[in-house]
Amino acid sequence: MRRRFPWLSYLVVVAGALLTVVPFLDMVMTSFKGPGEAGTLPYRFLPKAFALSNYRAAIEQLDLPTLFRNSVVVTTVITVSVLLTSSLAGYALARLRFPGRDLVFRLVLSTMMFPPFLFLIPRFLILVHWPLAGGNDLLGRGGAGLTVSIVALAVPFLVNGFGIFLTRQFMLSLPDEVLEAARIDGAGEFTVWWRIVVPQTKPVLVTLGLLTFVDAWNEYIWALLVSTANPDLMTLPVGVQLLRDHVDPARTMPVVMAGLVLSVLPVLVLFLLLQKHYIRGVMLSGLK
Amino acid sequence: MVNVLTPRSPERAPDPLPGAPAGHGRRRGRHRETVVAYLFLAPALLFFAVFLLLPLGFALLLSVSRWTGFDLGAIEPVGPDNFAALLADGSTFLVPVLTNTLLFALGTVALALTGSVVVATCVDRLRFQGLWRTLYFLPIVTTVVAVGNVWKYMYEPGGLANGVLNALGLGSVAFLQDPDTALPSVVVVQAWASLGSAILVLTAGLKSIPASYHEAAALDGAGPGTVFRRITLPLLRPSLLFVCVTQFLTGLQSFALITVMTRGGPGDATNVAALEMYRLAFDHGDWGTASAAAFVLFAVVLVVTLAQLRVFRRAGEDA
Repeated sequence: MRRRFPWLSYLVVVAGALLTVVPFLDMVMTSFKGPGEAGTLPYRFLPKAFALSNYRAAIEQLDLPTLFRNSVVVTTVITVSVLLTSSLAGYALARLRFPGRDLVFRLVLSTMMFPPFLFLIPRFLILVHWPLAGGNDLLGRGGAGLTVSIVALAVPFLVNGFGIFLTRQFMLSLPDEVLEAARIDGAGEFTVWWRIVVPQTKPVLVTLGLLTFVDAWNEYIWALLVSTANPDLMTLPVGVQLLRDHVDPARTMPVVMAGLVLSVLPVLVLFLLLQKHYIRGVMLSGLK
Repeated sequence: MVNVLTPRSPERAPDPLPGAPAGHGRRRGRHRETVVAYLFLAPALLFFAVFLLLPLGFALLLSVSRWTGFDLGAIEPVGPDNFAALLADGSTFLVPVLTNTLLFALGTVALALTGSVVVATCVDRLRFQGLWRTLYFLPIVTTVVAVGNVWKYMYEPGGLANGVLNALGLGSVAFLQDPDTALPSVVVVQAWASLGSAILVLTAGLKSIPASYHEAAALDGAGPGTVFRRITLPLLRPSLLFVCVTQFLTGLQSFALITVMTRGGPGDATNVAALEMYRLAFDHGDWGTASAAAFVLFAVVLVVTLAQLRVFRRAGEDA
């Protein structure tokens, strides 16, 4: 279609893009501001000098190595687990014939119907009352249960019904010949899965892995809950929020912003590097 | 919630394996295949049993019980009392909490939909597609803690939003402190954060409309406004509906942003159902009422989901 006013379109799109980007720029600019420079009138966008002291302060006040380690461990465990379980279950549902397959598939689909908030309370209570863990007795009394361990942060996200659905749909279209050739060569199903199916489904696994990684890194509510039970398990978002809530906001806003920049940066870099895969994932999963 | 609206690819049962051994060996092969299949499914099924079905049953039990949260043997069934308490006169759950939830979801949909339709129609066939997409996607990959705090800071008296207002000669607004502006201010942020994915869906929808339709209409003398109203919008309806429903469902459930920005305040001005559930449970230890609140919200979500499935089915029959 020929456009009569291309400049008008550009104007709208650029204005919208500015509206999207400016809050990020404000975050970065504030993270460089000196004491007394942020939150005072009149508002100034640019800092007087680009000082790195806020970043140093953020790293010291936040115990950044611990937060970073927790975030990395949890995100990695969740991503690996979702990829493995989705690929295994997806392969069984797509390429193996067994009684109950349709029932299991319907079960997987129905798990996507339940919103996460419904599980927040019971999952937390189940973890706290986990028998014989964290000082609990056989009936789950007396101790802190699984909340003593870092697995508590990962548990609700280890398996993902959507991930199983996605890999299964992708595996339906794998050519029979390749799998059959391997079977005739005497390969067991596990070997067929690991040596042939996993490499052949790399695109969908990259997409699923990236979606899972970003979500896990950014997750806030569950991590907040677990770290109120066990402060050693704080992740980056929870730690920065705690800093925000417990310091004098007028004076230390730049330190909080520096912490936010540091916590956002890894995922932002990953997104910029692999955004084609990520955007395809969002298309596949619908809206975020 | 992962949405259940993803266009389903046609269901296809895998073909029987060609060249599978026949007769006795075949039956043994079958048996082995069943064992292997359930081994592959075991981790997922185990997870669903322990962390999906069990919690669901536990939540149901809690919603009709009174419990202090310590001894599992001390759960005391009280019937529908928790639900009655939520819906009783003088309870804040229906008004303002549930009404806030609906306003929050509706407001987000209205804003995000309007914004994304405008941007998507403008960005369609513009240059630098990749750049625009990257920029509009930034909020989606950013943790809610960053989004919430940056906007909270921008809303402060010395923040960017008031800085702009002052520069335009307008007075400052106490965005998050004033009960009248707090909810709209949070809605703006939620809509801002979801604009990218809405634009993505609508741009894809626009691309699927053949250019010849527009050309034919233009040849018949239709102006750009008429083309947009008579051709673009009707053909875009499935994408629009999809954005509407998924945003609405997300809006009904989300409370992380509000937790970060206002914690439901001032007063109950931005308190929503999921946040109320969280606070009843983890601030007050009222597990029973909190679980009842969760199921009331779930009922709302379910009604919307089922209504949307019907609408989509009818839309599918029209097409």
